[in-house]
Amino acid sequence: MTSTTKRQVLVSARGLEVHFPIRAGGLLRRGTGVLRAVDGVDLDVYRGETLGLVGESGCGKSTLGNALLRLVRPTGGTVSFDGAEVTAMSRAQLRDLRRRAGMVFQDPFASLDPRRTVAQTVGEPLEVHGLHPGRQARAARVRELLELVGLDPGVAARYPHEFSGGQRQRVGIARALAGEPDFLVCDEAIASLDVSVQAQVLNLLRRLQRQLGLTLLFISHDLSAVRHVSDRIAVMYLGRVVEVGPAAAVAAEPQMPYTRALLSAVPLPHPQLERSRRRIVLRGDVPSPARVPSGCRFRTRCPDVFEPCPDVDPALQPVGSAPGHVAACHLHGVVGTPVQRERPGEPVDAGDPAR
Amino acid sequence: MTSLSKAPQPAAGPVLEVEDLRVRLRTPRGTAHVVNGLGYSVGPGETVAVVGESGSGKSVSVLALLGLLPPRTATVSGRALLHGEDLLTMSPERLRQVRGPGVGMVFQDPMTSLNPVLSVGRQLTEGLRAHGHVSKAAARARAVELLGEVGLPDPGRAVDRFPHELSGGMRQRVVIAIALANSPSLLIADEATTALDVTVQAQILDLVERLQTEHGTGVVWITHDLGVVAGIADRVLVMYGGRCVEDGTVDDVLERPAHPYTRGLLGALPDLAADDGGDLATIAGTPPPPTDLPAGCVFWPRCPVRGDARCETEQPPLAPVKGSHYRDKGTSGVPGEGQYRDEGTSGVPHRAATWCAEGSGS
Repeated sequence: MTSTTKRQVLVSARGLEVHFPIRAGGLLRRGTGVLRAVDGVDLDVYRGETLGLVGESGCGKSTLGNALLRLVRPTGGTVSFDGAEVTAMSRAQLRDLRRRAGMVFQDPFASLDPRRTVAQTVGEPLEVHGLHPGRQARAARVRELLELVGLDPGVAARYPHEFSGGQRQRVGIARALAGEPDFLVCDEAIASLDVSVQAQVLNLLRRLQRQLGLTLLFISHDLSAVRHVSDRIAVMYLGRVVEVGPAAAVAAEPQMPYTRALLSAVPLPHPQLERSRRRIVLRGDVPSPARVPSGCRFRTRCPDVFEPCPDVDPALQPVGSAPGHVAACHLHGVVGTPVQRERPGEPVDAGDPAR
Repeated sequence: MTSLSKAPQPAAGPVLEVEDLRVRLRTPRGTAHVVNGLGYSVGPGETVAVVGESGSGKSVSVLALLGLLPPRTATVSGRALLHGEDLLTMSPERLRQVRGPGVGMVFQDPMTSLNPVLSVGRQLTEGLRAHGHVSKAAARARAVELLGEVGLPDPGRAVDRFPHELSGGMRQRVVIAIALANSPSLLIADEATTALDVTVQAQILDLVERLQTEHGTGVVWITHDLGVVAGIADRVLVMYGGRCVEDGTVDDVLERPAHPYTRGLLGALPDLAADDGGDLATIAGTPPPPTDLPAGCVFWPRCPVRGDARCETEQPPLAPVKGSHYRDKGTSGVPGEGQYRDEGTSGVPHRAATWCAEGSGS
């Protein structure tokens, strides 16, 4: 757990936007639009912590992870990594960023090159960044990395197809750790694994984080897993971070109706509890990120929607009792930017998705 | 909403009885013993959850019931009685008649189980018209009604839409509507909510529970998610290496697991309700390949207990767990659980295929 008094920010996003143009193809060339995958995210990741990022599919959590590492170019806002501006980095600086910030991908079957041995895969970052020069030194480092992730160093000469999903994910983690990074983004790193194997990888990530002092961004749709590994949790909805706080506080006292609904929908393996628990069932689907509702973007599905929600875009404000717990919700006081309407008198619902 | 229960429901007896089901598949690596003697029964209105990790044989076991395995590579034996009629020895024509009104099936991926070039309505009416003599117009009206029942907004328009125009949750609703089109007495769901977000999963689970209490449909729910099991199941069957290693009421199996595998599985689960921040328990190793099952207990190579010398060479039989007593689930105090549930689940024994259930190895 990081201390709350003096925390150093490692990665920071301010007003981060990643918008993708929509080009209408085919015969009907209707007007183009904008898909707001990430739409004004403010987020700090503190050095040495695990920040869990949760949200439903399509909420932009993967795009946010990619944008923090500049694997996609932000269309607006800023990202800083250890004080340096990521969006304005030169090639040389970017190369250093690639060493210092790694990524573990979801699918261990697709993210490893089937024609390269484990040693080649794990050793590549060493080669690229000129670390541990010399064949023997590099081979020794690869062995060390494999041991670190709990693999037998003897497997270095094997190919990915000889491994199970969990073992492959360990190889992926070893590769991400090769450059001795400060920051690791795990994008649904356990989603394709069986329960018992998931537990092995979760334990490994926690051990590595303590052992190496890593900073982790753990992106997942699995709230139980996120709660287990994270110091803090950030909840995303439709391109925006809508609640951030200490993991225990967010899990026990969620302050935003969306977080509440999300948590209540997580099935728990306790029959007695499940029978007495009330699920908050949200109506409808997530609106398309190409047609984001005006004001609060959750208002079309919110059970507590009230007057200011369509008119004021809520900003993150301190909520609850835990320090550092913030949420973007008018239930805690109307704070935010009033919606700018193009023409006065235009209905507020202009941005609504077709129902 | 009485429209789904048009077909007469046979009053008494289990909907499905599976006895000693075995499936062998011919593979390039030799014969795979995918299912090795599985037995269970599903009563009307009852939900039986089949739990297991990938490769445990849970999906193959239901595909075998419906004759959906390739006959040239698969050898199926045992008995599977649907209202007393054996599905495994049925002629293909009879099986086709039985599938619609008898059994509905929902698969994991709603995108691949729908035909992308046919409208939703067309896919719904196909089953309706194949099993009942209804006019086109009547079938279409019924399709709209069904889409309304599964909670699709604006069913009148949705019926003319194509699968790609719908979201994942809406597609899965369509698949459920198709499965329920002929009011089957048994619904088989194979990882039906696994590809969906938790909020959408909650909607689908609510829907299935509601339809089930209304129509008394028996449900076989295949999943790897023990949380989902806790929410919907009356009884649980834990599969490992093609066999049932533990079964019983949902409370017995999840709260008082007896088999080391079930215990391991539950310990490996991060728990949102009670997270103590400690490391998760893990099960070392990986499940055995079905082409090369261990000689003794299927779980022996990974078992942390190995409490009996016989384990290595002999498969422990599925036997009642010592100290378990028969529970009546009717006293669980949940209002509104249909009258079907109480009959089906009272007096269900808690069984486990292990010799080391007593107090050891937790």
